[in-house]
Order: sequence, then C-alpha cells, then structure tokens
Amino acid sequence: MSVVAVDGGDLPLGGGLLALLRPALALLQPGGQLSLISSAPSVAQDLPAWCRVERHDYLGADPLPDGRTSHRIARGPLGVARGPADGGLALPERGDPSTGFAPRGAAVEPGGPVYPFTLVERDHVIPPEVGSLYEQAVASQWVAARDIPWNTVKPLPPTLERALGQTMTFLAENELSALYVPANFLPRIHPAYAEVAMFLATQLNDESRHIEVFLRRARAGGGSLGVSSVTTSQSLLSLLELRDFTEAAFLLSVLGEGTFLDLLKFVERFAPDEATLQLAQKARVDETRHVHFGLAHVRHALGHDPSLYGRLEAAVRKRAATLASAAGVPAPLADALTILAAGGADPGGVRKGHEAFRELLETMHGNRMRRLEHAGFSPEQAKTLSDLHTPNFM
Amino acid sequence: MSDLTLLIGAVAYDPKAVTIWEGIREHFLDQGIAMDFVLFSNYERQVESLLQGHIDIAWNTPLAHARVRRRTKNQSVSLGMRDSDRDFHAKIVVRRGAGVSSIQALAGRTLAVGSRDSTQARILPLHFLAKAGIDLGKLKILAFDTDVGKHGDTGTSELEVLKALHDGRADAGALGDLIWVTEQSAGRVDAAKVEVLWTTPPFDHCMFDAAPGADKDKLERFRKGLFSMKWENPKHRRVLELEGLKQWMPPREEGYASLHEALDRDEAKK
Repeated sequence: MSVVAVDGGDLPLGGGLLALLRPALALLQPGGQLSLISSAPSVAQDLPAWCRVERHDYLGADPLPDGRTSHRIARGPLGVARGPADGGLALPERGDPSTGFAPRGAAVEPGGPVYPFTLVERDHVIPPEVGSLYEQAVASQWVAARDIPWNTVKPLPPTLERALGQTMTFLAENELSALYVPANFLPRIHPAYAEVAMFLATQLNDESRHIEVFLRRARAGGGSLGVSSVTTSQSLLSLLELRDFTEAAFLLSVLGEGTFLDLLKFVERFAPDEATLQLAQKARVDETRHVHFGLAHVRHALGHDPSLYGRLEAAVRKRAATLASAAGVPAPLADALTILAAGGADPGGVRKGHEAFRELLETMHGNRMRRLEHAGFSPEQAKTLSDLHTPNFM
Repeated sequence: MSDLTLLIGAVAYDPKAVTIWEGIREHFLDQGIAMDFVLFSNYERQVESLLQGHIDIAWNTPLAHARVRRRTKNQSVSLGMRDSDRDFHAKIVVRRGAGVSSIQALAGRTLAVGSRDSTQARILPLHFLAKAGIDLGKLKILAFDTDVGKHGDTGTSELEVLKALHDGRADAGALGDLIWVTEQSAGRVDAAKVEVLWTTPPFDHCMFDAAPGADKDKLERFRKGLFSMKWENPKHRRVLELEGLKQWMPPREEGYASLHEALDRDEAKK
C-alpha cells in the first residue's frame, strides 16, 4: 500500500499542524493511511486524542534515524465528502435536497440538512437554452439614467400628457407583477440548476429597470401617474397566486409578456418623443428574452411530460373563470392608448387612434396564437387559449 | 400517560439539552417507541430518581454511573454509551517556560484543576498522578469549582484551567482530552504559551443506566431506538453532533475501574 507522507516540521497540533494534516486526510479514502513526520514531542500525546475525537485510527509511532517521529494514521469512515465523477459538468436528473447551496460539482459532506427546494427535476426546471439566454441577458444590460435621451422629453398637450401618464402607470404596474411573480419561484429552484435562478435574477433586474423608466417617463414632462384599475389588480393577483413554476412561466412569460411585446411596439410606434421610443424599444428587447425563456421552459417541460398540455389549459381556464367579471381592456388604458395613437384630442385623429387600438388587439391575438403553436399547442387549442387570455394583457 | 412510555432522565447542563432530547424523542417516536424525558438540574437528584423508580433510564456521567453501580451492588443495567465515551484520557497541560518538564517537577508548583465532581478535570487526573507516585500534598491546587452537580458536563471548569495557564496563574493544569483537542482545533489555544505534558491512562465516560429489575421489554425498546440512530441521516446527525458522538456503542464496565479505585480511596480516607 502506498502511504502518503506529510512533513509537519515542529508544529504543535494546536499551532498550525492541523492545517497540513486535515486536508491530507481529506484526500484519502476511509482506511487509507498517512504518515505524519514530526519533530514536536507534544504531537505524540495530542495526535492520538485528536484522532479519537475525529474517529481516525491512530496506528502508532515509529522513530526515524534523524530523531523525528513518523506517526501512522488511517482515515476514519465518517464525513467523506462525495462529488459527481464528472466534476458537475452534467446536470443531475434530480437535485438532492441535502446538498443545499453546494455548487454543482462540489464534493458534499454527507449528513447535511435537507433544504426546502421543490423545483428539483431537471426535465421540468432547466431548458437547454438557459445558458445562452443568461449570457445574452448579461451582455444586454442597460442603464436607465445613461441610455435614455431624457432631454428629448418636452411637455405635451394636457390630454396627451395624461394619456401617456396612464399608459406608463399601466406598464409599471404590470412590470411590478413581473418582478414579484418569478421572485416567488427563485428560492425554490434547486441550486444544481442555478443557471435558471441566475437567468431569473437578470429578469428581475430587467423588470426593476423597466419600472424605473416607466415611472420616470410618466413624470418627466411634468405629468403624473394615472389610475390602477380593478381588472388589472385582479389579473395580476391571479398571477401572483400561482404555485406551479411551469404554469407561471406559461401565463406570465409566454402569454403575458408575449402580449406585452405588442403593447410596447404600439408605444414605440406612437411615441411622442425619442426618449419614450427608446425606453419602449429597450424594454421590448428585454421582454423578448423573457418570452424566449418562457417558451423554452414550457417546450422543454412539455417534451418530457405530455400531460402538461392539459394542466396548462386548465390553468388558463381557471384564471379566465376568476376574471370572468372583467368586460375587456381596462377603460382608462383603452382610452389612453387611443389618445396616444391619435397624438392628441382632435376627433379626426382619435378615429384613427381607435382603429390603431383595435388593430393592436387583433395583432395581440394573432401573435399569441403563433406563440402557443410554437410552444407545442395545436391551432385549435391555441385559438381557445388565446381567446381566454386576460383582457388585462398580462 | 401509559406505563409503556419509556421515561429517560438527563441533566440540563446546557439549553441544548432540550434540543437534543426533543430530537431523540422524535426519533424514538418515528421508530414507534413511546418515550419521554425528564430534565434534572444535577446528577445527584437524577441518580436518586432512578433508584427510586421515578424514571426508567438515566443518562449518567461516569461519576453518576459509578455511584449507581456501587449503590446497586453492580445489579444495575448498563445500556449504552457514546463512541466518544470510550478511551477518554485526561491531560496534564503546562505553561511553556514554567520549567515543568515532567510530572515529577510538579512538586511545589500550582496545578489548576476543574470542578470537584468532574471526572476528567479533577478526580481521575489527580488519581492517576498519585498512582504515578506524585505526592499530591506537595502540589498547590488551584481549583475551579464551577457548575457543581453537573459533573464537569459544562466544560466551564476546564476552560478556566486553560485560562489560568494562559494568563500565568497556574504552572500546570488538568483537563479532559476532548476539550483540550477541540479548543486546539478551534484555534483557541496559544501553542506558544501552553503545551501538553502528560496523558493519563484511558477511562470511559458517560453511560445509560437502568435500575435493577427494570422492565426488560422497555430496555429492549430503548436499545432498538438508540442503536438505530445513524450519523449519515441528517435528522439524526443534528442530534448526534449536539450530543458529541458519531455512533452509539454497547456498554462496557472495565473502563470505569480506575474511577472505582479513586472512589474507594476517597471513601477509605473518610
């Protein structure tokens, strides 16, 4: 048997020797032997006691010709940390709740506490695209104060200013829900799939920035915030109350944020100034990434669990039932978008604005169906689900 | 409460005793074994309660165990111990530079010792020194009688011994190897100031005791519950770590021979 030798010099046990001894023992399998060469006389008395406490076997001491002593130790059976053979390159099929926050690939000492992670299945939690989406997200971060040409904002006629304030209020309110809803799931994701949590962190950061720019724009021209309607409030509560990660990804990211893309595009198209155009555009680029993640998540989960179709459809129906009293798009928002598209209060312009708003609803419906089919639903299912989608857009 | 419930006594030497025994009780209940515990403030009361039949089993220090053995003329039933209770040693530790290079050189010097009911920090180190030929009457004993009644469980008197060595009030000190090693591992011993001089022969530490004539079925259920605790099980490990063991072991009596000798000698002196 080959025996590892450690030169402990004249270090006493309590004077630094353990910093050499413990890591050397940790490299051994249980029963593996080590020789500690020491010239400190106290080690002969302290080492057996330490071995007893740590459940290693102290096998004895041999005098060496140079006057030093060789102490033989066999590593004990307890506390042997184990890690994956591939160093954590491959994703485990299931996350082990007792590995806690150990990064994937770390060797884990057995017997640790069980963590309350509930998202522990690879095939439900981590779509293959998450790595590249995370990299895109990190590379695309922008700064509200620096990257938006705020100096292009000028005071607008009062009707238009109020319409813009209402639109920004609605956008910020919905983005607040997009900040809170994924945050619910983040601490439930097993750290073996940390890439998903890290992507969600970029998403939360995106939503924070969007909230910041929408509120700032509402006030930048001297205007103020508009109304929060009950329809919006009910709709967003039904998102916040979701307990299933995949259902939430589907309802929030695929259907909600998907629909939001068309809304942001509408704001870009009728933006009264360059700042509004750019902030809507930048937010839309971020939201597109969130939709991609939602689609990737749902497609991945559907690919491994065909029964999920039924569950997702049921989730949409259940949500529609709780929102049954909502007649349509919240009136303050419908009016604000009409005025925004009209560019003011002139009746001729408002007629066109109204048409643009109606077109927006059709575009949203068409794009939702396209995304649903992309996620794996049949055209019939896609139409039913899109019709049932909340009139609040998100 | 049903008579089937095992009632175990333990001394509350630290608030963690509650956590430990709640954890052990939960484990016993998981095994389908009805168990409850009673916490005492000192080992003397616990031993009396065991011998009077108020509790089925007592978790005893070596001194309490030896007293149960003597009071029952060895008819008590020993049930189990921690792996860490076996082959315990005491250490004589010295202040570097005090010029104490052997136990013979302790004559005329100040030896710090722990509580008078601490087996590892007082009773046995002094007993083993005497057996090694040291005249204890020639030592200046600096005693730290803290937490008397808890038989040294709290470790406070051993920490006082270390403190006295570090700040020069004592030339040498007696303490158990567990505290000596754990304090060194935690980096709380200044190796430039304090070092080990002498190690006593081995002796055993705590033991679960039942009174003579205890219900055999109850004792069997106790053994089943106790020995099914496993270090690799996270729920068990928490309790085992707090209680300072990695594995429960069967009982053995030979490890208490030196303590009985020491007690015999004390009784002969009275």
